Amino acid sequence: MSDSNVASGITAWVDAIRRDRKASIGAVLLALFVIVGVFGPLFAGDPQALVGIPLQPPSAAHWLGTNGQGQDVLAQLVVGTRVSLAIGFGVGIMVVLIGALVGVMAGYFGGRVDGLLSVLFNVFLVLPGLPLAIVIAAYLPSGPLTLALVLVVTGWAWNARVLRAQTLALRQRDFVAAAIVSGESKRRILVSEILPNMMSLLVAQVIGSTVYAIGAQVGLEFLGLGDVSAVTWGTNLYWAQNDSAILTGAWWTFAPTGLCVALVGFGLTMLNSGFDEITNPRLQLERAWRAHLGAAGQKAGRSTPVVVDRG
Amino acid sequence: MSLRARFRGAGILFPLLLAFGGAACAPEHARAPKGVLIVSQEQQSSWIRNFNPLTTATSARWPTLAGVYEPLFVFNSVKSQYVPWLAVAREWREQNRVLRLTTRRGVLWSDGRPFSARDVAFTFDLLRRFKALDRRGVWGFLDGVTAVNDSTVDFRFQRVFIPGFDEVAAQLIVPRHAWSSVVDPVAFPNEKPVATGPFTEVRVFQDQIYELGRNPHYWQPGKPRVEALRFPAYPSNDRANLALVFDEADWAGNFIPAVDRVFVKRRPQDHRYWFPLTGSSIFLYPNTTRVPFNDVRVRKALSMAIDRNLLVDVALYHYSRPADATGLSDAYSAWLDTTVIARGDWVKHDLARANSMLDSAGFRRGPDGLRRLPNGKPWNYEILTVSGWSDWVRASQVISRGLAGLGIQASVRTYDFAAWFQRVQEGNFDLSLGWSFEGPTPYNFYHWLMSSSTVKPIGEASMGNWHRYGSPEADRVLGAFEREPDPAAQRGLCNEMQRIFSAEAPAIPLYPNPSWAEYNIRRFDGFPSAANPYADPSPNKFDRGDLLLVLTSLSPR
Amino acid sequence: MRYILRRFGFYVLAAWVALTMNFFLPRLMPGDPATALFARFKGRLSPEAMQGLREAFGFTHEPLLKQYITYLGHVLKGDLGISVAYFPSPVMKVIGTGFVWTLFLAGSAVVLSFAIGTLLGVAAAWWRRGWVDTWLPSALVFVGAFPYFWLAMVALYVFGFTLGWFPLGHAYSDDITPSWSFGFAIDVLRHAVLPVGTVILVTLGGWLLSMRNSMIAVLGSDYVNLARAKGLPPARVALRYAARNALLPSVTGFGMALGFVLGGSLLTEIVFSYPGQGYLLVQAVRNQDYALMQGIFLVITLAVLGANLCVDIFYLWLDPRTRESRS
Repeated sequence: MSDSNVASGITAWVDAIRRDRKASIGAVLLALFVIVGVFGPLFAGDPQALVGIPLQPPSAAHWLGTNGQGQDVLAQLVVGTRVSLAIGFGVGIMVVLIGALVGVMAGYFGGRVDGLLSVLFNVFLVLPGLPLAIVIAAYLPSGPLTLALVLVVTGWAWNARVLRAQTLALRQRDFVAAAIVSGESKRRILVSEILPNMMSLLVAQVIGSTVYAIGAQVGLEFLGLGDVSAVTWGTNLYWAQNDSAILTGAWWTFAPTGLCVALVGFGLTMLNSGFDEITNPRLQLERAWRAHLGAAGQKAGRSTPVVVDRG
Repeated sequence: MSLRARFRGAGILFPLLLAFGGAACAPEHARAPKGVLIVSQEQQSSWIRNFNPLTTATSARWPTLAGVYEPLFVFNSVKSQYVPWLAVAREWREQNRVLRLTTRRGVLWSDGRPFSARDVAFTFDLLRRFKALDRRGVWGFLDGVTAVNDSTVDFRFQRVFIPGFDEVAAQLIVPRHAWSSVVDPVAFPNEKPVATGPFTEVRVFQDQIYELGRNPHYWQPGKPRVEALRFPAYPSNDRANLALVFDEADWAGNFIPAVDRVFVKRRPQDHRYWFPLTGSSIFLYPNTTRVPFNDVRVRKALSMAIDRNLLVDVALYHYSRPADATGLSDAYSAWLDTTVIARGDWVKHDLARANSMLDSAGFRRGPDGLRRLPNGKPWNYEILTVSGWSDWVRASQVISRGLAGLGIQASVRTYDFAAWFQRVQEGNFDLSLGWSFEGPTPYNFYHWLMSSSTVKPIGEASMGNWHRYGSPEADRVLGAFEREPDPAAQRGLCNEMQRIFSAEAPAIPLYPNPSWAEYNIRRFDGFPSAANPYADPSPNKFDRGDLLLVLTSLSPR
Repeated sequence: MRYILRRFGFYVLAAWVALTMNFFLPRLMPGDPATALFARFKGRLSPEAMQGLREAFGFTHEPLLKQYITYLGHVLKGDLGISVAYFPSPVMKVIGTGFVWTLFLAGSAVVLSFAIGTLLGVAAAWWRRGWVDTWLPSALVFVGAFPYFWLAMVALYVFGFTLGWFPLGHAYSDDITPSWSFGFAIDVLRHAVLPVGTVILVTLGGWLLSMRNSMIAVLGSDYVNLARAKGLPPARVALRYAARNALLPSVTGFGMALGFVLGGSLLTEIVFSYPGQGYLLVQAVRNQDYALMQGIFLVITLAVLGANLCVDIFYLWLDPRTRESRS
């Protein structure tokens, strides 16, 4: 795949996202949070500063009130966005990289390598993630690095499994078979034939893993396993719980953060399902057929084997 | 296979789902029966059956340590005086080398067997044989314990050590006839306690709840008037507070933020609280082995830079007061030297004077406004606190703000409890928040603040005196106190301790901790209150038996 | 049968990995359990008492391999050590108090969520572009994006604290003695509504989408079309032919979801003070009660592995290909 191909690929995606309603909602939401994460902290002020009496409801001075520490909730939310997203995306990418390495190796080389690696990721897959994460995090000094490490350890296996399956499928495709027959080196086949054809899946995996990473990160931090003196979404919730948010009726200390976590997760998932519609050949075909029918002013009927429409 | 059979799994599920929905409409469950007091003291998700009063403080169910079992003397920390309990009299003999206690006659164990001085001797012998049980370290100063007869027991001391009485008095006594056959008393769960306390009968013990009934043979006639104590398992402070607010619990000892709004206002006629300032004192500990904190002028200047009024407002919802120059809490009201308090201006907020003190001590500010050490190093320090302890974290922030006015950049650094504890114990810090060490007299308090005998080298874990301060003058006074049985003379020595503390400022007192107590008077009467301060109201106050005073005074309405 | 044996072997392997991690993690990581123990008593303990306790807990300096073998032997006997926080109770006893509740909470949540989500998925695929298909997935994905415990907090705040419809926590009312009676069952269900409900709500979307997508694929396949062409009743085609085959990927996911939900329900338990393992685990971490922490991890892992084995057997029964190869 040449550079111009990559460029046209990206334009095609951007185009596709724009056309798909779900994907565009997701992209807009995500862009919003990324902007807040990148530029917000410049304007938010010191989130750790004591600005007033603890647990004050939202007011003109503090739009989202103050928390149990007498800090500005909005400033904490904005600064927390940066850290949480950074860890989320960082872990998302790491997890897919490791998963790709293991999965593609297992799928491509097959045989004993495959057997060994498959057992490895299957074992990790079947061990319950959060308890494992808690146990590992308990032994390490708390901080973002620990958190990232723990999330990578407990999160890579799923990607390995998916990507192994994809590699196996691709190996059997004609063009790869042809390359093997023509004697191309394994590395070249991997890099120039298999990986490019996995691009869309990899992107989807990164998005999915980021959703996982953000959720798990917030959960662990809520339990107090993160660095509780740092400002992140998870620690915000930890402090809200710690400072009796429910008892004191201080909804503003936990509602906005939870909503943000959900919005980011929702945005990513929408983007992903949009991608799915774009890249999944079955759904693509259906879409084309529907467009065709729509243009012809017809409704899909039962006679068409591909399009199933009961609406 | 038919369609129905295929989905029989789902078929079972739907009625279940309906049941979930239907159950939502079931009526609110019945309240606890009359006379059953619902208490929340421990925070656990489920109960483990353990009523061993001798193993470590936290593993036995409340109120094993004051309610099931009883000490020789109860110390009333609100009135600052001893109340005879299983022992009725004490006497120092043989030049204060022997402490003779007379035990109470007519006390029965809950199985009906008589209690005697021999049980006391047996208990202390257990502590000697099993070091893990000797929580208070009595065998550090005791030489031998013998029962002279059924109501007299002699404690022979290794040296004259009058404060040793406080540790002996607080020891809980177990029955010889039930414990002599226990092979490993350290790991003994003691599921069916035989004891002398007011509540000894385990009526119910389940994961979520347990209930203790009255001792049928209790030695105080007609008491306790409460029929039983019930303990629901609430895993968190928050959950226990909810139970209080919703009248599910009658008595608890939790921190509640904005207690008037959150708790009292919900039911002003029944919801009460009293937070007497009898907890331990909270200090800012400077590491006195390090420059510049080895300089008393610096410590006092730091102290004067702190706005303690703001601190108790922000950190503690105004539940406490600023500390005075003695550092003592209200538990020592009988010992206070008012002249020390009146002259102790180094705990008053006065930034201008604090600055001029540092200026005259030769610590100049650099161009960036930060003060410098003689070697040019700017004053850039961390204040250590424990993560999750939000009152401490807020207090640290107020302190940090105050110190900024002195040209000190003090950043708040939170650690997990264990990490924090290790640092302070090993003396690996510049500034840290910390608690004080308490006892019936100020002796313990000042012993751990400034006795040279408690100074450990940096790097070696120390139980107290984390700031590592030893004062020869204090050593002299503390030593004299250890050998002085006369109360009047003890008072004089205590006044001297306070004077030395105020003069040398080994640590910076911030505020005394309140003793937390919330209660609901709808069903029970007789809780201590500001109007009737007969004892400490907190269920957490079991260390020296305060709790027994309350448990034997409560009565159903 | 060989298939089941192979799976069983795999789970034994996984259990061994968990055990080994359990053993080596605390020994590889910084920190020493003895200091942790010391910290636990906040200095209220005399040094002599500490030394005595240390011996009681059996902290030793034997060679690592020897410790490892002793450890494996103990675990096989069901001895997971002594809990520091609940001294002198053995870890197994501490875990025993609440494990049923965790299983109940996570189990019923997973099963219900799977059943409801799958049925909704069938409906969404069958009535493509109907309201179920158009709105529900997006709505559930949105709900599913909330952290478990956050939703639990909100539910507790709204339905428990403010409206008072449901109890504020615990698995059953404090004044009821557990028994096999209808009244107790109703009481337990009443307490389970909010915790189970929030877990279901969060996980429903995943099942729905997974079933919907695989159902769409199956609905387009030849044999379903053939069944339709034969004029079989639509409901029969949908359930007997399509759903059964479309269920396979979901069932595979079920085993993994179990672990996932068990993890998530630990958080939910904490919010609802449900007497299960969740709070116990967090307390163990905070108290640095390593023996208890590892014990809980191990027991949860074994439960998940066992459940996975059951799922495998179910899968075998469901999947015609494996059934054929068997006969």
